[in-house]
This record gives sequence, structure tokens and C-alpha cells, in this order.
Amino acid sequence: MLGERSITSLGARAVAVSRELGGITILFAQVLRALVPPRLDGRELVRNLYKMGNRSVPIVALTAFFAGGLMVVQSAPFVKRLDATSLAGWAAGYAVLREIGPILIALMFSGRVGANNTAELGTMTVTEQLDGLRALAIDPIRYLIVPRVLAMLIMLVCLTVIGDLVALIGAAVVAKAVLGIEWGIMYASFTENLKPHDFLHGVYKSMAFGTAIAVTSCYFGVTVRGGAVGVGRAVNAAVVAAAVSIMLLDFFLTYVNA
Amino acid sequence: MSAPVSRRPDPVSRLGAGGLGGVRAGVELWLVLIGTIAGIVRMFRRGAARPKGAIVEQMWVIGNRSLLFVAVTLGFIGMVMIYQACLQFSRAIGDLSQVGTQFIRLIVSDFGPTLTAMMLATRVGAGIAAEIGSMKVTEQVDALRMSGVLPIDYLLVPRFLASVVMTVALAIVGAAIMYAAGGLTAYLSFGVNPRIFYDLQMVEGKHLILGLLKAVSYGAAIPVVSGFCGLRARGSSEGVGWATTAAVVGSSFAVIALDFALSVGALWLLGGDL
Amino acid sequence: MSGAGYIEFREVFKAFDGKPVLRGMTLSVGRGEIMFIIGTSGVGKSVTIKHLVGFLKVDAGEIWFDGRRVDQLDEKGFYPVRRRIGMVFQNATLFDSMTLLENVALPLRKHKRLRPSAALGQAMGLLERVHMGAFADRFPSELSDGMRKRAAIARTLTMDPEVVLFDEPTTGLDPVNARRIDGLIQELSRSMGVTAVVVSHDLTSIFTIADRVAFLYQGRVHAVGTPAELQASPDPVVQQFITGQSHGPMETPGF
Repeated sequence: MLGERSITSLGARAVAVSRELGGITILFAQVLRALVPPRLDGRELVRNLYKMGNRSVPIVALTAFFAGGLMVVQSAPFVKRLDATSLAGWAAGYAVLREIGPILIALMFSGRVGANNTAELGTMTVTEQLDGLRALAIDPIRYLIVPRVLAMLIMLVCLTVIGDLVALIGAAVVAKAVLGIEWGIMYASFTENLKPHDFLHGVYKSMAFGTAIAVTSCYFGVTVRGGAVGVGRAVNAAVVAAAVSIMLLDFFLTYVNA
Repeated sequence: MSAPVSRRPDPVSRLGAGGLGGVRAGVELWLVLIGTIAGIVRMFRRGAARPKGAIVEQMWVIGNRSLLFVAVTLGFIGMVMIYQACLQFSRAIGDLSQVGTQFIRLIVSDFGPTLTAMMLATRVGAGIAAEIGSMKVTEQVDALRMSGVLPIDYLLVPRFLASVVMTVALAIVGAAIMYAAGGLTAYLSFGVNPRIFYDLQMVEGKHLILGLLKAVSYGAAIPVVSGFCGLRARGSSEGVGWATTAAVVGSSFAVIALDFALSVGALWLLGGDL
Repeated sequence: MSGAGYIEFREVFKAFDGKPVLRGMTLSVGRGEIMFIIGTSGVGKSVTIKHLVGFLKVDAGEIWFDGRRVDQLDEKGFYPVRRRIGMVFQNATLFDSMTLLENVALPLRKHKRLRPSAALGQAMGLLERVHMGAFADRFPSELSDGMRKRAAIARTLTMDPEVVLFDEPTTGLDPVNARRIDGLIQELSRSMGVTAVVVSHDLTSIFTIADRVAFLYQGRVHAVGTPAELQASPDPVVQQFITGQSHGPMETPGF
């Protein structure tokens, strides 16, 4: 029966999802435990910071620029109608700082760095390198996972800050180029109307997003089964899981920290 | 996994090489698009080599897999956006009566199609890249070529057409859900009267046209970019993983870039009155 | 060699997904000897040694090492054991993002808290011991299987282990490299007093360097003794394996 089959498959999917959620939570707890006291491999941390930052800055910057410009374009008619060009900066700014910036940058980061990390860890798992670490009495969590989680978290926050800045610049550029609003007006609009709390609201979000992306990415990497094909599947699952977490976290954080 | 790094060239050479690589990729991407369109034309003219039912099958795959995801995410986003907007409006203007009317205008002309496409870029883009990528590394693509079928005709054209149709369809659904969720939030959290919120007076034909144009463009861009990444997959299943990642990032970025270009273009065309 | 051995398996049972692999496996390994565990593919040889470093848990039975039970230990509890029992994996499993030198230096940095320069120096010494010093700056992906195996052995030696487990060290190697590995194992045992437990089905290795051989069949140690004793064994199953016949009384699942 069609109805029966879909309910069963829905149930099966729910069970699978909760199993993943459980595993992710456990990994998160293990990472937290390894941070108290913080004894982790400093070299691995630095190496990952460099690698992840290197990989993402160009695309984040470009995305942010476009996003900022887009917000100006969207708010333009409204601002024109109210004849308040000085508010244009505010309109674009708050959307970028509070929502668009953190979410877009997090999604791009997840696609570039998160997926890459899952693939790396997945391949290491499949080729038994993780077991190799355990056989040498080296804790994979402390040595491999915690540095990556920290690096991803730090990197995303930095990228969000940079991205916010680039987006505001993009907004100003588009405002000048397309709407003829002067730099000075945009700058004044930003500084007068945007509060530090707007900026911090976005930063808190990026911290949450960064943690979510990092933990899910590592989780799907180390639980790979089934050889190289499993790695591909894990990458896919990691990206989707990260996107869903970003949306959910954004939802909750918006209300909690308005 | 990582290639042995012997001696990295200086930053300038790397920048130049990167730039050239980017240009080359851009040209190849363009060729894929042209090739796909040519394939569509070929399909309508010849009709014989059309993969039977493949288009409908692809539509089912895209729509089925993503409907829930799109609906839920856009619902959440709608709520969040209205919440933020109401917050800011009450702070800056003190009057919430315009929120609903502006919101639907933005949904129709931008957020509906764009956010839907961003979600699809993740799900659908990854799927297309993974499928085509696996076929490439297992040499099935070459096998197609040997039997006289152009890979683009067989693989990309059905997905292209399906994606365009389904992106438009899902954008409409997503937009509706966003609108509904937004109004609910405005009512529950800020006491905005639904009758005032759900007011379509600001929506004009040009918004609908722009939104539709965007949805079609996104629907075209995602499979082209993803298919391109899939066809470039090299090596083993690991190469497929890279292709998938590149497809997701590339498709998402393409959506944003297209959004920007079309919005600016529309603004310029309409003389600043969007 | 009677009495409590250095390493002891007592009536170990292990099943995967309901399919029994080890069914009452009992074996005693003496200190300093080279013990080969042999048998057909899938009979449970790798499974056996994985228990010794805690990668698998027994369903029933006991495992003893140097007078202490180890089968009940958890992951953390196994860390001290893993410093005394090293394992060389079948695929060498070097870390492919590091050079050979860095690979070998890693456990030195982590466990002996050596400064990077001192660690690299000691690592170089170990690599030269296995005749791989010239390739210290290469990455694992650039090297052949035999070379990677030797580097993996060097890495395992960094912990000064008392026991080294080898999971099919010569499988997939050409005859020349296989004999080189055999020689290395023998050298470790003779000059460093290392106890070697070697999982293998390489008959040449068995008859070249093994002190004793345990023949695993149907989940149990079917026969154990010196290579000469096994060769002279009247048991038809043993004879079939030793002489490498495809037909005989042996039941090989899956054929």
C-alpha cells in the first residue's frame, strides 16, 4: 500500500536522522571534553587555519560584495519612495549584518571548507589512517578533530567579519554606481543607523554556524563506511546537514538574541 | 590525498595561473551552456534521439527530493526575515503597515526564486554533479560517446529542462510558504493585522516578470554548472567528491551573481523604479 | 614452551553479524619468539591480532598480556598497552599528508615530548635502521608498497615496543621486497628482542623466519608447532595448506 510504505520510509528516515544527531552530539561532547584543559596539537591548528582561510577568502569576498550590492538594489525603490536616501545604508546594512552576511558566508564556507574537510577525514578513515593513530596511542580527537573544529570556527568568524565589511563596501559601490548615492551619505547612514549590537548579532550567529559546520563535517568524515563511494556520500550528507543546521540555528538565534 | 608539495611558485605566478585557469573555466562553462541549448534545439528538431521520459523522470527526482527541504527552509527564513524587518521598522519608523506589502514585492521579484534556488543548488547541484561525475570516472560517458550519442544530449538536456521547470514551480511554492509564514510571524510577534499584511497592491507585472526570469535563469544555471563540474571529475570516487563540492559552491555563487546582475539590470532598465 | 605465555588467548569467541569467526581460539606466545598465525583468507587471523590492541572486543574468553588481562580494557585503558604492543597494518597506513620523516617523528613528538629537531633526528636514525634513510623527505604516495611497509615498521619502532604485530606484511609484495621484510622482522627479534606475531599466508616467510606457527582453521588453532613439526604433521588439513593444494579435505567457505 502506498500510504503504508511512505509512512514506513518516513519512520526509517526519522530513525536514521536521530541516530546521526546522537552521534553528532556525542562527538561534540568529546570535542568539548578535549578542550578542558586545552591540550591540542598547535601545529595542526595553525596548519588547518592557513589551509581553510586560504581556500575561502576569494569566494567569500566576491559573494559578500554581491550580497551587499543586492541589498541596496532591493531597498532602493522603497527608500526612493520615502525619499530617504540617507536610510539606504541602514536598510542594506542591517540585513547584511544580521542575516544575509552570516548565512551566505556560512553556506559558502560549508560548501568549500566543510565538504573538503569531510572528504579528507573520510579518506583517512577509509585508508585506516585513523586506526593507525589509535594504534600509536594518539587520540584522534585531540590530534585530528579538535584542531579542525577550532580552525573552522575561528575561520568562519573571521570570514564573516571580513565579509560584512566587503558587503558594506559592495553596498556603497552599487549605491553610487546604480543609484547615484554619494559615498559620504552611505557612510553616514552606516555609522548613524547601524549599532554594534547589529554587528555582534551576526557574529554570534557565525560562531554558532561555525561550530555546527565543523562538528557535522568532522562527524560525517570519521563515520564513513564503504570505501571511496562512501566518502562521496558523506560529503553530500555533510553539506546538507550543515545547511539545515544553519537554517535552524538562525531561526532560534534570531529570536533569542534580537 | 594531497599532492606532494615540492616548491610553491611565487604569489604573482600563482595569481596569474589562477586567473588564466578561471578564464579557461569560464569559457568551458559557456560552451557547456551553448552546447546544452544546441542539444535542446537538436532534440526538438530531430525527436528521434530524445531519451524517452527522461525529462519527466528528472523532474520527479528534483521535485520529490527537494520539496520538503525547500518548504521548511523557506518557511523558517520567512519567519526570521519578517521578525528582523518588524524589529527594524519599529525602531526606525515606528509604523509596521508597510512590512507586508514590501515583503511580497521582494518575495516575488527576488527572495522567492533566489532562496529556493540556493537550496536547490545544494541538493540538486550535488546530485547532478555526483551522478554525472560517477559516470565520467567509470567511463560511461566515453561509452556514450562511442555509441554516437553526445553526452550533453543524453545527460544534460533532460536535467536542464527539468530543472528550469521545477525551479519555477518550487519557487512559487516556496514564495507562497514564505509569505504565509511571514504574515504569521508578524501577527504573533508584533500584532500586525493579517488583512493589512496580506496586501498585494504593490506587486506589479514587472515584479512577476523579473521573478520568473530569475527562476528560469537559476534553473538553467544550476544544472549547467553542476553538469560541468561532473564532466570534469577525474580519477576515482574521490574526484567525484571534489566535483560535488565544486558544483554546490559554483551553483550557489552563480545564483547570487545572476541575482545581482538581473536585479541591477532591471533597476537600470526601469530607471530606478523597481 | 609451557605455562603462562607472554601473550595468551584463552577460548576466545568472536562473531560478526551473527557469523562466528573465532570459536574458542587458544594460543600462547612466548617472549621473544616469532609466532606466525596462518590460515586461509577470512579465517580470522587479522581479527585475532586486532584484539591485542583493542580494536575489537571479545564476545567471550580472555586475553592476557604479561600477566595482566587486557580484554576488558576500554579505549583509554588500551593506550599503555599500545605503547608496548605496536602494530604494522596491512596497508602500511602512513599519513599521506606528511613526509616519511614526519610520519616517523610524530609518535616521538607526542609520546616522548621531544622537540621537533630532536624528534626528526631520532626518526632519521630509525629510518636508516630499516634502510629507508634516503627517502626521508618523500611522501608515502610516491613510494612503492615495500618501501611504505618498511617506513611503517620504523614508525612502530619509535615506541620501543616489546611486541610488534604484523598484519600480512608480505602480501602483495614482489619476492625480493618480501624477503627484505622477512629479514627485517628477524633482525628485530634477534637484535632487539622484540616478540613478533605475524599474520600471514606466505609459505616462504613461514619456513624462513618463523619460530613457531599456529594454524587457524574453523575458528580454532587447529595445529601449533615449529615449521618442521607442521610439515611433518599427518593431519590432512594441515598438509593441504602447507603444500598449497586447492583440493583436499579443507572446507573453505565461499568456494
